[in-house]
Amino acid sequence: MIYWIGIKEKLNNHIELASQLLLLMLGIYISIMSEKYGIWKTPVLFLGLFCWFFFRHKTKHPIIWMVFSALLVFDLYLMYLRVANHHFVLTFMTLSVLCYRYHKRSDILLKNTQILLVIVILASVLQKLISNQFISGNFYYYMLNRGFLFDPFLGFFSEISEVTKSNTESLIALQATDPNIGESIVLKDVFPNLGVISQVFAMLTIAMEFIVAIAILWKPKSRWTHLLFIMMIIGILCTRLETGFMALLAISGLFLCNNIKLRLLYAIIAMFCVVLVVTKLGYH
Amino acid sequence: MSNTIKVLLLKYGIPSLAVIVIAVQFFFVNTQSLNKWKGGGYGMYTGIHYYYNQIYIPGMSVDSLIANNNEMERVFKHLKLMPNDDNLMSAAEFVVKTTHKDSIHIQIWKPSVNSKNGVYSRALVNEIYFKKTSL
Repeated sequence: MIYWIGIKEKLNNHIELASQLLLLMLGIYISIMSEKYGIWKTPVLFLGLFCWFFFRHKTKHPIIWMVFSALLVFDLYLMYLRVANHHFVLTFMTLSVLCYRYHKRSDILLKNTQILLVIVILASVLQKLISNQFISGNFYYYMLNRGFLFDPFLGFFSEISEVTKSNTESLIALQATDPNIGESIVLKDVFPNLGVISQVFAMLTIAMEFIVAIAILWKPKSRWTHLLFIMMIIGILCTRLETGFMALLAISGLFLCNNIKLRLLYAIIAMFCVVLVVTKLGYH
Repeated sequence: MSNTIKVLLLKYGIPSLAVIVIAVQFFFVNTQSLNKWKGGGYGMYTGIHYYYNQIYIPGMSVDSLIANNNEMERVFKHLKLMPNDDNLMSAAEFVVKTTHKDSIHIQIWKPSVNSKNGVYSRALVNEIYFKKTSL
């Protein structure tokens, strides 16, 4: 009971908890990304660490958020077309929290998070709608037959692994031939009626994302909105371990959610994703 | 600046930046052949990753070209990400310079899948015939 009171106390201050989780995610992400252009990032990181250790209680400026924002923007400047999409989300979230440290208005921070989430999910829906490969189910069909989706569960089904392995071998053999000859192969299906299943799965993905985006826009604090959002996050994690992106979505959900139990669920998802990023079992 | 404008800016400034980034990505996708997976437009998982695009140079092994040549690997990666005429030209110039050939033919192929019959084939995205004299 005493533990639950402690947890509840922490969950009551959800903006602080979400900010701490975001800071943790930022630290891990920045350290992974620091391998690239490390020579330029070293002085920024050193200066930031120095200021944070010696001046953080003597200044009103949120040094750590400023340093991390600078490094994220620096990566955008140098690798704009190469960084992952969640790098952009992380940058926007970090800038929102950085601004919050100055204006101290939670309504502004929550509006930032809400609109940002809606924009990200609606853009994803739009991109799927205008992609022939996605709408036709061809993309999911390919991914499933290669064993690229639901991979944490595929290990339990040896016959599926055999099929995906055989498809990979056929593709490697095809890749070695001159594409101008126009040769093709026929992929083996991991289970029957995969073409139809892939198309239905594609439609369901679009419908789910669209409903979640509209729910967040319309009722950002509703319990049902957050249940749907959590279902979407868990669904994506089961399909593919996009842990870096999902950690950010869970942290955004934690910012917006009013329900204590759902806040705990968001925090657990975010921590689980962070752990998978650190252990490199998930994508960063 | 009045308080209302300041609050509006604080509330919608950062989300507006996200919209601008998405608009820029759409522009690059439609004019510069940028792959949808990148550029901050949230087009990941809408098509097969550009990593699986194939660079084909008749008479040359791409694997041998990139082996122990980080710059070549970077040039080819960028070409797969954005297979437009300019990047093809840069890649061709770089390959000709590195291999001391007089001319080169570079093609980019992308995977094409049909879920109705399971056929996997390759479709030509772009190509260039490049001669050293055009340097």
